[in-house]
Amino acid sequence: MNSAVSIRHLTKDFSVGIRGVKLRAVDDVSLEIPRGEVFGLLGPNGCGKSTTLKIALGLVRATSGSTSILGDDAASAQARRRTGFLPEAPYFHRFLTGRELVTYCARLSGVKESDLEAAVARALDLAAMSAAADRAVGTYSKGMLQRIGLAQAVVHDPELIILDEPTAGVDPVGSAAIGEMIKTMRGQGRTIVLCSHLLGQVEQVCDRIAIMDRGKVVLQGAVDEVLSRRDRHLLEVSGLTPEAEAAARRALESAGAVINSVSRPRKSLEDLFRELVTGSKDA
Amino acid sequence: MDSLRRTYWIARVTFLEAVRQRLFSFLLLLGAALAGSSVAFRFLNFGQGELKFVADFGFGIMFLFGSLLAVVMTAQLLFAELDNRTALTLLAKPVGRSEFLLGKFLGVWAVLGVFIALLCGVLGAVLLARASEVAALAEAAGRVPPQVDAGGLAVFALLQWLRLGLVAALTLLVAAGSRTFLFSVVAGMLVTLGGQLQWLAQDLLNKGDAGLMQKSLAWFATRAVPNLQQYNIGDALVLDPAGVPEGAAAAALLSGTLHLLALLAIACGIFRRREI
Repeated sequence: MNSAVSIRHLTKDFSVGIRGVKLRAVDDVSLEIPRGEVFGLLGPNGCGKSTTLKIALGLVRATSGSTSILGDDAASAQARRRTGFLPEAPYFHRFLTGRELVTYCARLSGVKESDLEAAVARALDLAAMSAAADRAVGTYSKGMLQRIGLAQAVVHDPELIILDEPTAGVDPVGSAAIGEMIKTMRGQGRTIVLCSHLLGQVEQVCDRIAIMDRGKVVLQGAVDEVLSRRDRHLLEVSGLTPEAEAAARRALESAGAVINSVSRPRKSLEDLFRELVTGSKDA
Repeated sequence: MDSLRRTYWIARVTFLEAVRQRLFSFLLLLGAALAGSSVAFRFLNFGQGELKFVADFGFGIMFLFGSLLAVVMTAQLLFAELDNRTALTLLAKPVGRSEFLLGKFLGVWAVLGVFIALLCGVLGAVLLARASEVAALAEAAGRVPPQVDAGGLAVFALLQWLRLGLVAALTLLVAAGSRTFLFSVVAGMLVTLGGQLQWLAQDLLNKGDAGLMQKSLAWFATRAVPNLQQYNIGDALVLDPAGVPEGAAAAALLSGTLHLLALLAIACGIFRRREI
């Protein structure tokens, strides 16, 4: 079994109201998420992403279809032992310190007492939260909450990590830091399922994506494959004089190519922001 | 073993969260102040009856505030986890639904234990102090001096802890399947009241001219809702241990324990089917 997550013909209906009217949240979804890849699950709000993830984590029962994680039934404790999860907009016990929270989660995830200290230190380090680990969670900023959430998700060294909107409400610097953490985890051979509205980041970090709309998967595949336009090419040139541009146009047109547009490349606002702002207060 | 360990850690964090709540501090301080202030009733000069009055007053406060705490805190701590989605984080780990629910219950029950122990401590101190004064007066008047049985108070504290555990378990059973905190609190209060009024159902059951429907309902009520009234033996246990029917405390302990286990098993069954 090469898939980290295998979802087959998954359907989920919710009963709404007293009369129990059926609302189909997930409609015959099938996904195969290969091991060792970063997989982006995209879609507008209410398209069924979170419900699909909850079913994969055994938190919600499917109406029909099957879900397995790393070869085990998704609802089994064995599957959850090998999975880490960061929910959307995570909220944790405010009175615990970051270190106590991660230790608590490590204990619940079955980390042995003898390995506890090292596992917690490693997770805090990965999430860049070591410096603030002894502060109460109630004093954390949104970005720090996401990062401590990431630490609790990876403390038991899971093979699969599911991140639901890990950058929601986080500034671009914090968001880029989380993107780097995702890349680090991929480098460690983990499989990551990422739900995010930050399409730029998804494009940068994901190997494969699936786009959902109204409960159905409308597109899935490798990022390069689904985004590349095979009938178009981009030449990036520096030091182009008007004479050279005219000569290039003539040469291309005489070879049968059609020039659709010539423009100056722009930096993204995110890149500009990250160049100017090197760190937030809580970094 | 791992299951017990996880349940213990959830209970521990629940306990820490619960003792930080203002409701706990407020009811604990108010209860202790009221139990302590019962010493002011000495001006009534009841003689031995004064101790019974003080004991009844203290035990009443303990049950009233304890029940309030058990119902509100149980519902609040469960719904806080569900509404804030910390339950999502925990249940996505290899934590069973039953472990989670039992951890919540044990954390609340431990807080109730602290509440009962502190209030019994205050009430015991008040009773012992006043008993020595009343005893001197009784001896001077040639009457039998009153006694306060510390062992009886300990048994009473244990029974009260069990009673509040039953109230918490009843509330947890309701909350495990309900969608709102308010419904859980109201339903928990009503079921607690039902447990306190068990004698009505018992009377109906023993009534010769009651119809089959009435008797069936009464029979169901006496089985489904634990009899919380059987724990009203505090004053006798503390002031007149010889007057307590033999085996009454043990019977209350046994039936309470069985009811508690049954309620928790049903609550876990309901919660296991819940979609988080």
